[in-house]
Amino acid sequence: MPGLVRFENDDFVQQAFARMQGTLYEDAPMADPTNDFIRDYQALAQQSWDAWTRQLQQQQAQPAGNPFFTPPTTPASGNDTLERTLAGLKGYFDWMQGAAAGGAAAQPTDWRQQMQQLFGGASQPFTQAFSGIDSTGAEGFARQWQSWMQAAQRSGFGDLPGTQGPTPAFGLNREQQMQQQAMSAAVLASLQASARYQALIQRANTQGMERLQGKLAQHAEPGRQIDSLKALYDLWVDAAEEAYAEIALSDEFREAYGEMVNTQMHVRQLQQQQTEQMCQQLGVPTRSEVSSLGERLQALRREFRASRTPAPEDHADEIMAMRRELAALKRQLASAAPAAAARTAKPVAPAKTRASAAAKVANKVPAAAPRKSAIASKPRNSPSKRK
Amino acid sequence: MHTPLRIDPSKALGDIATFQRKLAAGMGNLRSMREPEYANTPRKLVYSEDKLKVWHFEGHSRPTAKTPLLIVYALVNTVWMTDLQADRSMVRNLLEQGEDVYLIDWGYPDGADRWLTLDDYINGYLDRCVDAVRQRHDLDAINLLGICQGGAFSLCYTALHADKVKNLITMVTPVDFHTSDNMLSHWCRSMDVDLFVDTMGNIPAGLMNYVYLTLKPVRLNQQKYIGMVDILDNPAELENFLRMERWIFDSPDQAGEAFRQFIKDFYQGNKLVKGTLEIGGKPVDLGMVTQPVLNIFAEQDHLVPPDASRAMGKHVGTTDYTQLAFKGGHIGIYVSGRAQREVPPAIHQWLRARD
Repeated sequence: MPGLVRFENDDFVQQAFARMQGTLYEDAPMADPTNDFIRDYQALAQQSWDAWTRQLQQQQAQPAGNPFFTPPTTPASGNDTLERTLAGLKGYFDWMQGAAAGGAAAQPTDWRQQMQQLFGGASQPFTQAFSGIDSTGAEGFARQWQSWMQAAQRSGFGDLPGTQGPTPAFGLNREQQMQQQAMSAAVLASLQASARYQALIQRANTQGMERLQGKLAQHAEPGRQIDSLKALYDLWVDAAEEAYAEIALSDEFREAYGEMVNTQMHVRQLQQQQTEQMCQQLGVPTRSEVSSLGERLQALRREFRASRTPAPEDHADEIMAMRRELAALKRQLASAAPAAAARTAKPVAPAKTRASAAAKVANKVPAAAPRKSAIASKPRNSPSKRK
Repeated sequence: MHTPLRIDPSKALGDIATFQRKLAAGMGNLRSMREPEYANTPRKLVYSEDKLKVWHFEGHSRPTAKTPLLIVYALVNTVWMTDLQADRSMVRNLLEQGEDVYLIDWGYPDGADRWLTLDDYINGYLDRCVDAVRQRHDLDAINLLGICQGGAFSLCYTALHADKVKNLITMVTPVDFHTSDNMLSHWCRSMDVDLFVDTMGNIPAGLMNYVYLTLKPVRLNQQKYIGMVDILDNPAELENFLRMERWIFDSPDQAGEAFRQFIKDFYQGNKLVKGTLEIGGKPVDLGMVTQPVLNIFAEQDHLVPPDASRAMGKHVGTTDYTQLAFKGGHIGIYVSGRAQREVPPAIHQWLRARD
């Protein structure tokens, strides 16, 4: 691994590091060494990432599961998780480099302006933080759509009609034409739903940056200031996750999420129908047929087991009803007892104990066991609260 | 006017150099590292059916507990979270406390399992596993420890087969699926689950994992791996990290019909707390759970919010209900150092008092 060999050359790292320290601590302009340093360091970084990519790709030959779609033809190098991971690390590293060389080193009068420099533009990893989730599904979908179109064309279906709305069909291929129109409409609906979902994800990204400003403002006092790029990054993660959670728990997101999943499933279902038709023509067993067999077999297994169940099963409902009655009586007794006790005994202040720094334990009713310091009792909830 | 950013350029460059060094060192460590093993606490197979296995764990000494404890894990992810590594094994710690521990390993469903329903899982598989353990010990009832979805299964089972459960422990178990902070439930509610399952059949593990990652996308897709760089030069910590990655991503598909029912009845319908749930045509009334119940939940759980678990207390019929709030997350409750010190001893003490 040549890249790795060079990267592991400690002299090279030392020289690069010495050069970058020189640019920071010496007043001399040293324009050329700075350029050298940047060039060297970028080369170093590139070698590192290349080596890492090769290393991890060797280790993880199996492609990771694609969220809602597995493309019909799996790319040879397809490993979405790995790519996302590497992109995240690379983005973080690029950002650290950029920040160290520019924004962070400056002493601006306006920290908000400095923040814009640090996080603005194409700075990574911030622009790509959510890209893994907003684009993976869409990319998979686009790939699948492309593959499907190609496959349909190869199979003689021709161009897919109906993207401009349904049109009447007739003749020998009427059914196929109608199916293709349904497919086109479903794909369009799905792409639109994905776009709505992605817009919400982007909103989370934007709001995350706004929240970061608010969080940073709380760190202006001496002693609370952010003094490392990692601390700044972690603060941004907190802000981004908070913004995302707020949006992800909104009704708007819920509807968009449901619509995205439902429309994608609709496309997939139409694909399956067409595939099955082709299989039937070729005499190949279909998934529906196999699935039906499985359903029938499972039903038979249930019947077989039920037939072997001993006779008391006949009384199961009766016994269940009696148990239910008994449980209700127990609950009545339990709720009546404290009331009776309250009438005869002096009120006692409830014990308020804390289990430990780590765990809090609360009992409805003290167990038969000796009470431990970690256990605090509270009256059992009244059955009337149920349902 | 002070600026909130006070980043020393030389320190920043030093951090970059450190980052690169750790990456370089990490590559060597990764290359020499094998797939991390789980704790593999000694165990014996005592029952199997289809893809399911019931394991009986063997401790260094004979159990002191009179009643065996059967762990019922969720269908999502693998059961080995309970026995992850030697120094982070709930199973091992329970054995050391004197418990007699059994575990249901649901296995990896495939197309043949597509039509397994919740009735098949709860009144079928789970019931037969309980019977197998009862028979081995010649007991009418045993203790159940349900985890996450397995906790919901255990609650249903206890309500339906009350005479076979002596004590019930639930961990990070959702009961009220409609709390305002339940992101998974929120997302599920506008999904057409029938279309989803009819189309997908079994639900792929990769898709499930993807959804879990998107609950905290930046933290779980990016920050976690940036944090990993810090431990790349530490083989022991790296091994722990990779073991956890293995557990997270080596997960089973979900049997289609069971998934359909679980989403519709639990996540969408919230029928467990509404009292309208039926499993195999029989009503599941949590008021029928009159056995002692220990409900353990995690205060920082992003998958099962604490309130979703706390709700249990209002709905079970028992007069002996205990709840324990653990300071940690959905996974930390099994594998953190604090969990090792606190959770198994708490379970054992609670059980011993009722053995």
